[in-house]
Parts: sequence; structure tokens; C-alpha cells
Amino acid sequence: MAPRKLLIKALRYLLIGVLVIVAGFPVYWMATTALNLNSQLYGTGQIAWPQLQNFPDLVSELGNVPIGLWLFNTLLIAAGGTILSLTLGSLAGYALSRFKFHGKGMVGFFLFMTQVVPEALILVPLYAMFITFGLLNSLWGLILANVGFSLPVACFVLKGAMDAVPYEIEESAIIDNCPRFSVLTMIILPLIMPSIAAAAVVSFFAGWNEFLFASTFLMDRNLWPASVGLASFVGQYETPMSAVLGAALVFSLPAIVFFLLIQRKIVAGLTTGAVKG
Amino acid sequence: MSASGLKSRNGMARFVPYAFILPPMIYLMVFMFWPLARQMYMSFTNTRIINPNRGRFIGLGNFERLFEDPAFYLSLKVTLVYTVLTVIIGVTLGLIAALAIDRPFKGRSVVRAILLFGWAVPGVAASLIWLWMFNERSGILNRVAELIGLGRFSWLTSTDYALGSVLAVTVWQVAPFVMLVVLAALQSVPEEVREAAKIDGADPISTFRAVTLPHIRPAVQLAALLVTVWSIRRFDVIYLLTGGGPLGSTSTLVVKLRQTAFEGHELGMASAYGAVGLVLALLVAAIHYVAEQRRMKRMSR
Repeated sequence: MAPRKLLIKALRYLLIGVLVIVAGFPVYWMATTALNLNSQLYGTGQIAWPQLQNFPDLVSELGNVPIGLWLFNTLLIAAGGTILSLTLGSLAGYALSRFKFHGKGMVGFFLFMTQVVPEALILVPLYAMFITFGLLNSLWGLILANVGFSLPVACFVLKGAMDAVPYEIEESAIIDNCPRFSVLTMIILPLIMPSIAAAAVVSFFAGWNEFLFASTFLMDRNLWPASVGLASFVGQYETPMSAVLGAALVFSLPAIVFFLLIQRKIVAGLTTGAVKG
Repeated sequence: MSASGLKSRNGMARFVPYAFILPPMIYLMVFMFWPLARQMYMSFTNTRIINPNRGRFIGLGNFERLFEDPAFYLSLKVTLVYTVLTVIIGVTLGLIAALAIDRPFKGRSVVRAILLFGWAVPGVAASLIWLWMFNERSGILNRVAELIGLGRFSWLTSTDYALGSVLAVTVWQVAPFVMLVVLAALQSVPEEVREAAKIDGADPISTFRAVTLPHIRPAVQLAALLVTVWSIRRFDVIYLLTGGGPLGSTSTLVVKLRQTAFEGHELGMASAYGAVGLVLALLVAAIHYVAEQRRMKRMSR
């Protein structure tokens, strides 16, 4: 029995090792490629280990990519979308968690639908609508489009958290005729801060990562977020790969850090709705 | 307080829920469901990009063209193959990964973090790094392939490999997510039951089938649904890796829609692609709904 057990254990570690290499290698390769010189990448051959001595070259090369401006635009899009979807999402979450009302089932159905409908299906009508209202080629228009998809997720996460808050906590305030809106903002929301943080991270990075809407609605290069800016290098002949992947790494790091931080919360919010695609 | 005051307050109370639910619902109506309805209408018009708000109603004209176009059937086939394979491979690998790291071992949290990279990296960044790895002349995959004597592959530009390459990147992105969901579900498997099975001399495979699998089945189903939905929706990775090519071998409905609209300038025709996409999405939602109802019934028994 013992040797068989040992074999199973060895196989398990081998499997874990293979999985770690396959899952981790692309990110490792992104970092080492960024630290290669372009003469190495396209000429003498890529060095497979991190050449930290090339860091100054990478920094000076990043100067050729307007990554600062792109990240700033990305930040505006992500933060604006987060504020809007948390505000609307907490209202919807509170209504679904605390009230019975006509059409509640339909609201649930609509929220579910937003998670199944591909973004591309409303691309064309939104484009037409944005032309009419002057929202094409504007960060505002992009934020408004993004929030349609992040609001329901924020709502699901927040509703789940509110369901766990006992009604007794707000009961006395309601008897004292405290307006329900104040009950939400003064009593409930402070109690579910961890879930608000999780919903904020999800909404923020939905906006941070978004590409389809941004690449369609923004023509002005100065408005591009990093996703569109970085994608603009695709198909170019002899792309400055180290700078592009260096910028891509800078763009990825916040997402990696925050998603790893809230991974468990995301799964908890999953029982009710989809989160990140 | 007078009785009438109380009454009017109660009368007002009936409207309180709507004060909360209406703003978000109106928002979704304006920016999600009205556009969706409009896209359905546009699929019956000959709208072009020069004047997107004025298209002539042409009845089923777009659909007649669509159903005669081999490119449409190819796109439908690519979407289905891509979705089904992503779900099968992604869920299987995610499940295997979750089972492999479920029990404690040294360095588990680091391993868990690394395994989640593919899910956490933004789609555009993932596309860029894989584009470089797939690069025919200087990419690592072809360097290794040459080293072991296989020669170079046209990972993204040959109809034989392009869909497989796109699939590989997609699986890299979705399998970690499946793993995460399954890992959470595995925590709900009672330790005593597993121990009891072990003491009874059950081998790992039958323990898994009899004890673990029933516990994690709902989680696996949910993960499969989400991966399905995301596969139908996915745009960035496919568009950036291959642009739908070569010869349409990776052009899913979503990629085709965007190209018809903004490269072909035919918004009405693009909306017809969208209508087919909506039917597909609704089908998936309906299947999920029925499965969910059946699960609820089972649980209440």
C-alpha cells in the first residue's frame, strides 16, 4: 500500500508543477520579454531569464508609449463606472433585499438577462444613440455603456450582503420614521463595507479591462484607455515588443493584485450572478 | 399625529420601494433594453453607418441574405465549436486543478495565486503576451518546436491551428475561474464523510464519485453556464489574436457582428447577426433556468 500512496503523492505534485508552469509562464514571459532589448527579441534571440540590468532601457522605452495618459483615461473610466454602478446597485440591492413590490420578479429577470446578453448586441444601437446625444467619442458615453453591465453585478453582490443583515437592526430607525434612504446610507451600507469593497473592485476592473465598447466609441487617441492603446500595436510591423509588454504588465498588475485579494468574495457573490468574464 | 396624517404616510409607503428600484431600472431600460429592442428593429432595416438613425424597413431582407451566406453558417459553427470546446476543456482542467490543490500542502497559497493568473490578467494584456508567444519567427512556442525538431507552426495564420490557439488562450483564462468556484464548493464536503469512505477502503476514484462529486455538482454546473455565456460574449481575445481569420475560421458571431457593422458599415446586417446571437443567448439562459428549477425541486424534496 505504501509505495502506491507514494506514487499517487508524486503524481499529484507533478500535476501541480505542470499546472503552475502552464498557468504562470505567460505572465513570467510578459515580464522577461519586457526586460529584453528589441535587438535581442528580433535578432540575437530572447533571453529567458529576467535581465534586471535592462530595466533602465525599459523605462526609457516606455517613454515612447503614452502609457501614462492611457492609464489616466482608464482610471477615469473605471472610477466613474464604479461610482455610478455602486450608487444604482445599492439602491436596487436594497429594494430587492427589503421590499415586496409589484414587478419584483420581472426586475430579477431583467438583471439576470444583462448577464446573458453579449455586449456586442447593443453595440450598434448604442452607437446610433450616442451620435444623437453627442456621447460618441466621449468618456461619459463609454462609462454609461459599461455601467449597464456592471450595475447588475454590483446589485447582486450588495443584495447578498444586505440579506445577511438582520432586519431588527434597522427596525427601530424605521419606527422612528427615519427616511428609508437614510436607513440605507447610515445603517446598512456601513455594515456591509467588505462587500461594497468587493463590488467596487469588480465594477472598477470591468471598466479597466473593457475593450469592445472603448475601441468602438472612442476615436480620439487622447481619450483612449490602455486597453485600446495597447491593442493598437497589434498588427504593426516590428512592434517595440519590450515596451508594449512592459506597458501591458503595468496595466495588468493592479488587476492581478486586486483580483487575488478578493477572489473568495467573488465566488461568494457568484451564487446570484455572473462576475468577471 | 392625526389619523389622516398616518394614513397618507401609509399611502406613501407603498411607493417607497419604487423610489429605490426605479432609478436603476430606468437606467437599464435606457442603456440596455431599449438598445436591445432597437437592435432587433434594426435587423429589419437597411441602416448604414453613414446615417445610423435612418434606415428603411426592408422586412426579412437581411435574414434572407444571411441565410444564403456560407460565411454566416461558418460563423455559427465556429461559435458553437468554440463555446462547446471551451466549456468541456475549461471545466475539466479547472476541476482537475481544484482537486489537485484542495488538500493542504506547503506553498499552497502561492500555487493557488499563480494558478489564478490567467483569470486575473486583462483580456487585452493576455492577447498581447500570447500574440508574442505565438509569433512565428521569434515566439517561444516555435523556438521550442524547432528545438525539438517539429519545425515552425503558423499558430494564428493557418486554418488548421488558429481556432485551437484561440481556444488555448481562452482555456488559460477560464479554467482558473472554474477552479476557484470548485475549490469553494469543495470546502462544503464534510471531512468525516471523506474519512469514513477512506476507512471503508474506498479508492480515491470511487470516493470522488460517491462523496465529492455530488457536493460540487451544482458549482460545476454554474461554472459551466458562466463559461458558456462568456464564450458567446467573448470579443477581445479572438479579435486581437486572429481578427476572426484566417478565412473566417475563428470568426464567432460577435466578431462577425462588429466587423459587419464597423468595417463593412452595414448596421442593419450586423443587427441580423445580433438577432441570431440573442436567440443563442436566450437559449442558454432558458437551459440554465430549467436546470435551476429542477435543482430547486430536488433540494426541496
